[in-house]
Amino acid sequence: MTLNLHAVLETLGFTATFLLLPPLIVGVIRKTKARFQNRIGAPVLQPYYDLLKLLSKSETISKHTSWIFRSTAAVNLSMLIILAFLAPWTSFRPFDLASDLFLVIYLLALTRFFTVLSALDAGSAFGGFGASREVTLALLVEPSVILCLASLGSVSQSSDLAFVFSFKNMELLNQPGLWFLAGCGLFLASLVELSRMPADDPTTHLELTMVHEAMILENSAANLALVEYSHFLKILILLGISSQCLLHAVPYFWHSTELIRAGASIACILLMAVSIAVIESVAVKLRWTKLPEFIAYSVAMSIFCVFIALGKNLN
Amino acid sequence: MVLDTFEALAMLAAIFGILILGTTHLRTNLSFYSLHTTAIAAVTAWIANITHDSHLYLVAAAVFAIKAWVIPYFLNTVIKKIGIGTDSGAFIAAPLSMHLGALLLGLSYVISLQIPGLIGDPDSRIGSTAAMSILFSGVLLMLTRRAAISQIVGFLVIENGIYLFAVTQTHGMPLMVEMGLLLEVLVAVMVAGLLLFNIKKSFEHIDVSQLTELKD
Repeated sequence: MTLNLHAVLETLGFTATFLLLPPLIVGVIRKTKARFQNRIGAPVLQPYYDLLKLLSKSETISKHTSWIFRSTAAVNLSMLIILAFLAPWTSFRPFDLASDLFLVIYLLALTRFFTVLSALDAGSAFGGFGASREVTLALLVEPSVILCLASLGSVSQSSDLAFVFSFKNMELLNQPGLWFLAGCGLFLASLVELSRMPADDPTTHLELTMVHEAMILENSAANLALVEYSHFLKILILLGISSQCLLHAVPYFWHSTELIRAGASIACILLMAVSIAVIESVAVKLRWTKLPEFIAYSVAMSIFCVFIALGKNLN
Repeated sequence: MVLDTFEALAMLAAIFGILILGTTHLRTNLSFYSLHTTAIAAVTAWIANITHDSHLYLVAAAVFAIKAWVIPYFLNTVIKKIGIGTDSGAFIAAPLSMHLGALLLGLSYVISLQIPGLIGDPDSRIGSTAAMSILFSGVLLMLTRRAAISQIVGFLVIENGIYLFAVTQTHGMPLMVEMGLLLEVLVAVMVAGLLLFNIKKSFEHIDVSQLTELKD
């Protein structure tokens, strides 16, 4: 087998992008929020330094934990790396891997499952209620994610996300409404899934409100670095999928070259990071009982997607 | 079903109409209503663009100015003066009524397939789907909410639905009729707003479900 230099370079570029981009996104969010609060803020690259610092610290582990707590960080990170290869978070993919939409959704659910298990494993009160809140939110959000992606799949007559998002699918070419609604629905859903502002405030450690932070309270040092990094990677993948939906709504990108599309994907993800920071600066965290109202908007978007798909299939 | 600009704008108006149902926070309701009316004004302007009917541009501008700016602004000041920010409670929970509204959008597509005059023309069919779904959203708002402000918003949404139906099916009524209707809506909202002050003064709440109790 001869090694194709071009293919090797593309693969290296792709891998480097998804390995190095996630902390930058978080850095951009934090910097924008700081500017909104009239602070200079930490440099954009600060999340990289934080991760490196955590890696060199010594670890403290509760003696009540089992092997699940030890292995969760590695399991989650490896599953998210698989997802980064499978999920269509950027239009630039060096290889043709088939990725079924249910495989993508349930790999994401599996990472959540392991996070919840490790939170319960430590046996602290915080882990318990963090886990229960996370699962409640996941239960509410999941229908909207599935319906959005499934209606895209049903219009394109394929459940292969790589094909749905490949810009080669003529069924989806003139459907800006469907793409836009799916993008909005997925964006609102990913705000909740990523424990961002209306659902959870990622900057506070207040026991009454925290969701994600409560679950990772027992992790420290290298373990915490891996957990944080997998969370950043999850931000990249989920924001990437919704930004791809929005990019597909613009007819211009259907006729442009690969390079423009790849650049636009990255730019759109960073733009979404900025918009998350703006939302977090102007909006307040919702009361727990008000959250279903917020998630209902995401579900309503997905119901509209289903109607468009139905109308398309009936005609 | 390829959505072109006209259909997309009409559906956008319908979707914003449904999103009004999703929250009991009155100011958010009003800003969604404002967006919804802006979409309807855009539909009118687009029809004017297609039919080269210059008076429809005027109507679009008037709809935008009066219904998307003046009325929400007026109702916002009313809310501020009365001091009631949220609807005290809906008969159907807000998220549920939004999903009900989304289902009614599907139902109105089915209904608009049955209207005899529209079958041949897919353009006006999507227009009538959107108009009917806006009607349903307005009815849901009026039926399920307790605060009198929501009743006014529901009335305005129903009025928008009827207007959208007229403008998509007949490509616009004469200018005088449209202007008369707009003026009437404006006066109705003003009167309703003033009435709200009096209701608030004599009952100390604006809950329409309790207005049946007689009190001296």
